[in-house]
This record gives sequence, structure tokens and C-alpha cells, in this order.
Amino acid sequence: MDARAAPLISLRHVGKSFKDGQVRALQNISFDVREGEFVSLVGPSGCGKTTLLWLINGLIEVDEGEVQVNGAPPVPGPDLAMVFQSARLMPWRTVAGNIEFALALRGIDHKERHDRAMALLGSVGLRDFAEAYPHELSGGMQQRVGLARALSVEPKVLLMDEPFAALDAMTREVLRRELLQMWSRRRMAIVFVTHDIDEAVLLSQRVVLLRPRPGRVDEIVEVELPEPRWRHDPRGLPAFAELRAHLWARIRDMGRDGAGLEELAGAFPEA
Amino acid sequence: MNEQQAGAPPIAAGLAARTVAAPDAAERARRRRSRDSTLVLALQVGLAILVIAGAYWLNAVAGKLVMPSPTDIFTQFVKLWRDGTMLKALGQSLVEMLSGFALGAVTGVVGGMLLGGFRFVGRVLDPFVNAINSTPGAAFIPLIIAWFGLYTEAKVVVVWHAAFFPILIATAAGIGNANKDLVEMARSFGASRFTLFWRVMLPDAVPTILSGLRIGAAIATVGTVVAELYMAQSGLGGLLADAGARFQMDRYFAVVIVLMALGTLITGGLKLVENRLGRWRISQREGR
Repeated sequence: MDARAAPLISLRHVGKSFKDGQVRALQNISFDVREGEFVSLVGPSGCGKTTLLWLINGLIEVDEGEVQVNGAPPVPGPDLAMVFQSARLMPWRTVAGNIEFALALRGIDHKERHDRAMALLGSVGLRDFAEAYPHELSGGMQQRVGLARALSVEPKVLLMDEPFAALDAMTREVLRRELLQMWSRRRMAIVFVTHDIDEAVLLSQRVVLLRPRPGRVDEIVEVELPEPRWRHDPRGLPAFAELRAHLWARIRDMGRDGAGLEELAGAFPEA
Repeated sequence: MNEQQAGAPPIAAGLAARTVAAPDAAERARRRRSRDSTLVLALQVGLAILVIAGAYWLNAVAGKLVMPSPTDIFTQFVKLWRDGTMLKALGQSLVEMLSGFALGAVTGVVGGMLLGGFRFVGRVLDPFVNAINSTPGAAFIPLIIAWFGLYTEAKVVVVWHAAFFPILIATAAGIGNANKDLVEMARSFGASRFTLFWRVMLPDAVPTILSGLRIGAAIATVGTVVAELYMAQSGLGGLLADAGARFQMDRYFAVVIVLMALGTLITGGLKLVENRLGRWRISQREGR
């Protein structure tokens, strides 16, 4: 990883409030994401993880500080692709049609769209389901389509908002591995929001730990575990256990600062 | 898990497992469904027989002014079709109803798109829409007579007025309440407002708009008969008024049967269209 390269995403002293300033969601957030880097945002619910993702996407604007993507304020578009907790597929379009929708927004020629959609579906193992409707697929398959749709626009940054939180444990495990494999091939930057500490340490190169109310950066932890991790599962390594224990200790400290424990453990996606 | 190849294998395995387990349960479910529908049909036929028997009984105890005998109704029914009276009346009614409904559908959907798509327009016009919508339709008939006269144009206006509001309100609601998750998704991919409206909000509202059209069509049938009763007598409503005024109850009931069949056919047909176009929503409701 070349640390001298200019960061792809940079946040400087970012603050954001809702309800005319009554609710302070984020305060003084600063961190960078370099090209091709996998960064996780971790924290209890209410720490503004999703809000942060939206700011990076450009769906909402900062109140204080600045966000830059590629040296300019972000605008929603094909450079930044979102993957949501639920797949958010349009139920009236086929699986291929859903991907073609994103390709159309990217300005891909009508004839080319279908071929590219099929190629992408092939890469997530869903070629046979191209003409199926989303409700005919299982949750894991739907989420694969959501990922394929995001990849279809060939984004520089993949923004993932707890993408595996709603899946069963086995599907989640398979999809994590597929995500890591995909990332080793394509090496786009990934900003991955999760409330699952293990998942963050398993997947990412850096973990940004956030504190709740208002959301602030608690600590940024480098995860130096051997790559590629889809081949060498790091969960058995002592280094993994250490990182995990360290992050949990920090979160327990937050609990002493007044946030209720059930809130900290909460798996609720914030608005 | 870690030794597994990525991609297809887990899916393939899952599908295989599902097809093995499926046939038995599916067979049982199918049998249960067919048993249910047989029972439903039997009860429906039984109920119909009961109604007809009741009519004969009422005819016997209270006379033909209260309840004509079903045999007489049937004779009149055949006679009205034979001499062309029914066909002519049906034609007149259908012309009024279809043109009124078509007008109501076009204006209602377009208006609803404006109300639902432009929040501001919706907010400004909301009280006016509510005020007119909550006034009984029949209250406007004298006004419509004063403005449009007594003939086909005026009747079409009555039908339009009846069909317009349910369609307008359903369309506006469907678009206004379009799935926020999908709107967010499309925005995050950089969709313009134009794309958002035509490719996300409108398709998402299609099932709601279709139910609005179905309700509008049902009310349009009512509007047609009301117009034909109150204005220059014509069509099926005219036949009803005519038969009623002369206490020819057998003739009256023969017309009522045609009206019932017409209404059932129209709503049934629209339901079919609704199911076909909104297939994904129906199958979602039923679960996978």
C-alpha cells in the first residue's frame, strides 16, 4: 500500500446535524481512504455510520468541514456505488433488468447493456437467473444481484451499508468470501459499514471505530493480517483475537460513558 | 466453508435440496386448494338456488308487485334480448360509460401524476380535491344538466366525474408513497429527477393506479345508471326507470340482472389486467 498517494476519499472535520440542528449526528470526523483500500466503519447504532456513507456518496451535504472524493465534493453517480442492507431491487424488473438500470444511468449504450449485465451475473454465479424476478430469489441471491449492480458501473469506490446484516450466517460467510475474492481482483476502494466487529477485522485493512451521540472517531485501527484473507482465514490467528479484544474493550469503555449496553450491542441500522 | 469454490456451488446445492423436498408438500397444498375451491363453488351454487327459491316463495306469498316470479323475469329477459330493446339500451349505456371512464382514466392518471410527482402542487390542491371528492356525486347533477343539457354529453360528464376522483387519488397516493428505499437507491446511482419519476416512482405506483382504475370503473357503472335515471331516460337506467314507473317488476329485474352481469364482467376483467401487470406485487403478497 502506497501511503504517499493522494487519498481517494478525504473527510476533514466533518459535522452533520438533523432536525434543524437539534440532533447532532456527526462531529469532527476526519479520515482518508486511499485508492484500492478496504476500510470499515464500525460502531454502535446511533453513531451515524450510514449518515457518513451518504455524505461520501453525496446524497446529503455536510454542515461543517468537507468531504472530497477525487479532489472534489462528491456527487451521486457511477464513481460511487452503494450496496444496501436489503438488496433494493426493483421488483417489476428482472434480475438482468435491474442491472441494466444502473448501466443506463452510467450512459451505457442500449445494445451493450444486456451483454454487460449477463457478464456480471456470470461473475456472481447468477447467470441462470437473469430473467427471474427478484422475489423469486433468496435473500442471499438478491444481495448478490445488488452487489453485481454496484459493480456494473465500475465504481472507484464501493459503499456498503451493512450489506450482510440481514442474511443468515452461512450465506453471510459465503458472501464475505466472495466479496474478498472480488476485491482482490478489482481492487477498488471499499467503505464498509458494519456493527459486527469480527466482520470488520476479517474484511478490512483499516477499521474506523466510531462513538455514538454525536458520532465521533474513537480510534482508527490498522488491521495487518496476511492477505489474501479469503485463502488464509485469519480468524484463528492470535493477531485477530488481539484486535478483536482491543476493539471490544474500546466499545465497553463507551458503555461506561453512559450509552446503554443494549444500545451498543444493537443491530439497528440508524436512519 | 473455506475450501469451497466461490460462486455457483452453494446456490446449486440449495436449489437441489429445495426440489427434493418440494413435491410432497406442493402436492398436498394443491390438493388442499382444489378441495377448498370445490367447497366454495358448491356453497355459491347453493346460495344462488336459495335466492331463486326465496324469490318464488316471496312471489307466492306477497304477489308479483313485490317480487315477480323468476320464470316471468326469465321470459322478459329473453323477450327484451329478442326484440333488440336490451341490446340497444346496453349499447347506449356502454357508450356513455366507456367514454366517461376513458376520460376519467386519462385525466385522473395525468392529474394524479402531477399531484403525486410535484409535492408542491399536491399540497396546494389537496383541500380542493378533498372538498369536491367528499361532495356526493348526485349533488352535481343539476349543475351538469344546467351546463351540459340532458343528453349523452351530460351523461358522459356525470360518469367522468364519478370515475375521476378514485383514479386521481389512487394515482397521487401511489406516486407520493413510492418506495423510499428504491428512490434512495436510484438517487445514489445518480438518477435524475426525470429518471426517478418515470423509471422508479411511476412503475412502483402501477399496482395502486390499477386498483384506482378498478374502483373508478365500478363507480362509473353506478354513475351511468344514475345519469340515465335522472337525465333524459336512455340505456339500461332508462329501461329500469321505465319498467319501475309502470310497475313491470319482471321487466325491471331482467334489466337488473344485465347490470349485475355488466358490473361483474368489468371489475373481473380489470382485476385480471391488474394481476397480469402487477404480477410481481401479487406474488410478493403470496410469498415465495
